[in-house]
Amino acid sequence: MFIADIKKDFYEVVANQRVALLVAADIDGLCACKILQALFHCDQIQYTLVPVTGWQDLSTAFLEHKEQIKLLIKEDDDLGVPTYDDIFRDEDEEEEGEGSGNESDEGSEPSGKRRRFDEGAIERRIERQRAKRQWEARRREILFDYEQYEYHGTSAAMMFFELAWVLTKDTKDMLWWSIIGLTDQWVHDKIPHMKYVSDIATVQRHVSRHNHRNEDEENSLSIDCMRISFEYDLRLALYHHWSLYESICNSYYTACSFKLWTLKGQKKLQEFLADMGLPLRQVKQKFKSMDVTIKENLRDVIEESSNKYGMKDIRIQTFGVHFGFKNSFLASDMVHAAAALLESTERDENDPTDNFIKALDSLSRSNLDRLLSGIDLAKKKLIAIQQTVASCICTNIILSQGPFLYCYLMEGTPDVKLFSKPLALTLLCKYLLKAFVQSTRNKRCKLLPLIMAAPKDVEKGTVIVVGIPPESETSDKKNFFGRAFEKAAESTSSRTLHDHFDTSIIELKSEDRSKFLDALITLLS
Amino acid sequence: MDPSEVEFLAEKEFVKIIPNFSLDKIYLIGGDLGPFNPGLSADVPVWLALNLKQRQKCRILPPEWMDVEKLEEMRELERKEDAFTPAPSPYYMELTKLLLNHASDNIPKADEIRTLVKDIWDTRVAKLRLSADSFIRQQEAHAQLDNLTLMEINTIREFLLGSLNCMYKLRSNLQPGATKGQFGDY
Repeated sequence: MFIADIKKDFYEVVANQRVALLVAADIDGLCACKILQALFHCDQIQYTLVPVTGWQDLSTAFLEHKEQIKLLIKEDDDLGVPTYDDIFRDEDEEEEGEGSGNESDEGSEPSGKRRRFDEGAIERRIERQRAKRQWEARRREILFDYEQYEYHGTSAAMMFFELAWVLTKDTKDMLWWSIIGLTDQWVHDKIPHMKYVSDIATVQRHVSRHNHRNEDEENSLSIDCMRISFEYDLRLALYHHWSLYESICNSYYTACSFKLWTLKGQKKLQEFLADMGLPLRQVKQKFKSMDVTIKENLRDVIEESSNKYGMKDIRIQTFGVHFGFKNSFLASDMVHAAAALLESTERDENDPTDNFIKALDSLSRSNLDRLLSGIDLAKKKLIAIQQTVASCICTNIILSQGPFLYCYLMEGTPDVKLFSKPLALTLLCKYLLKAFVQSTRNKRCKLLPLIMAAPKDVEKGTVIVVGIPPESETSDKKNFFGRAFEKAAESTSSRTLHDHFDTSIIELKSEDRSKFLDALITLLS
Repeated sequence: MDPSEVEFLAEKEFVKIIPNFSLDKIYLIGGDLGPFNPGLSADVPVWLALNLKQRQKCRILPPEWMDVEKLEEMRELERKEDAFTPAPSPYYMELTKLLLNHASDNIPKADEIRTLVKDIWDTRVAKLRLSADSFIRQQEAHAQLDNLTLMEINTIREFLLGSLNCMYKLRSNLQPGATKGQFGDY
């Protein structure tokens, strides 16, 4: 169901009922869930929270709760969706990417047909049938276009924050969660840069509204209150909670620009640090214990030097939060921490619900130790990604299959368990493609998309396959692999599971891997 | 008594709020409350004020005594006097904690207020300890302390009464001819 006015059509309908909240396993969904939970607490609406990891989970949960509940709210960072009217009207209207995280009861299929019962003239009936056939053809065409590409619309967390704002129940906590949801889309490369920048501008208005509300010279706020501030900060992952050196080595932007998997790259990094006048001892220390005189102008100094080394976008617009005397986090830090918790493979009994709840908890301000453990996990994950990228490039296991690049992670690779999860594998894919583009000389290869496979479940013998679009400056991040995978699987009758909400991620039996790939090659060439 | 029980009793105190909803008068067992009109201040007990604040339905106004200058004066007075001066409110410690934990954004200069209240508390409890110490030393039979709040009494009650019991046992065993004395652990 598509809705125009989120307050009237959605919240007021839901307000007096018992709600089932099905949340997909990504950070944006988590943030949207937190905002919605806070709203429900305010109005004392009863709800049931069900984490789902794929379409199958969704249908089981739906069936379980079907008896009691009439309206379901499914949140995930959904595919870009044209508005309702555009599909079912005949005129040509521009498609707006109104991605919303909301879909209601699957039972109500949207139907735009109007049936006119007129026993009258035959000519009119024929005329109608022709119109109907035309309409059906156009509908098929639009649906095909719709389903051909997959892309992401506005963050679900931001949509729910807008709802809270309309209800004037927005708080700084909710604003911070919506910022995290937006940053998640950027970190996992789901939205193009322009959209990210315009969304940041939208959020910035809310941030300044909240800041102006409370800050006054005489009546300054308690230090425990949360303060959100706009930061034009460096694109180094987790650098406030790590050492600067480690962060530069393990963030994909700097690692790929310097090509840190080569000796030459390492030397270049040393030169870079020397150029800025940062002593190696300081840089390898924990960031919080670095010399204050160095920290003062760090961002500007790094920006100047990185311009010389060809890294034009080392700084990115983002937000940071401060509460208490020593807690300050950037939005991207929290995204990495929550993602690491969500997909942690630390313990043996990996209950996905458990991980989901842990990740959800880490987003609250009161669970700092959870957040810090998430940051540690995220550091390990980033290091693992970097090492895997380095080894893949050095051993040349990325093969060009014609219309795309292909890489398979063998089972013995260190940390391969980490990459059996979709989010981690997508990150690895993205970094690997960027690194490959930097390191190859073949001009044609630079424009190819990448498909990556990694073992998912050793007992069942399945691999997880992810496809990402080619690396380009102005990509609109539309991913066509969803349909391509489906068609390839059909034509070779491979045993695949298209369970994930993101259609470009599938599970495949290892034995069918080669014929699936061949089918893909023929399909895409 | 448990400190949480004392806090529970403190929640019956009245505080001013500014609601953002409207509701007719409500009739509760403890008394009538309301009517509530958005933008107009109303007097409600602290338990209701906190619940409404958490549901974002009101803004809490700090009580009159919760002001930096007034508290500074009281602190100075407390430090000068040997006896106990009247406390800002019979439940000042609990109210400070509750209001500053849940509604610190509605209370100006919350950090300083927290520090000042803690200072006043420290001074008073120090005086209490001193007074209990001299009471026992001089083996008085009864004492009178004015202007103590329930929370302060509660902190010392168990210890003082328990130790007076022990001392009584000790003293009664010091009488000559008391062959039934329990020398046990002493």
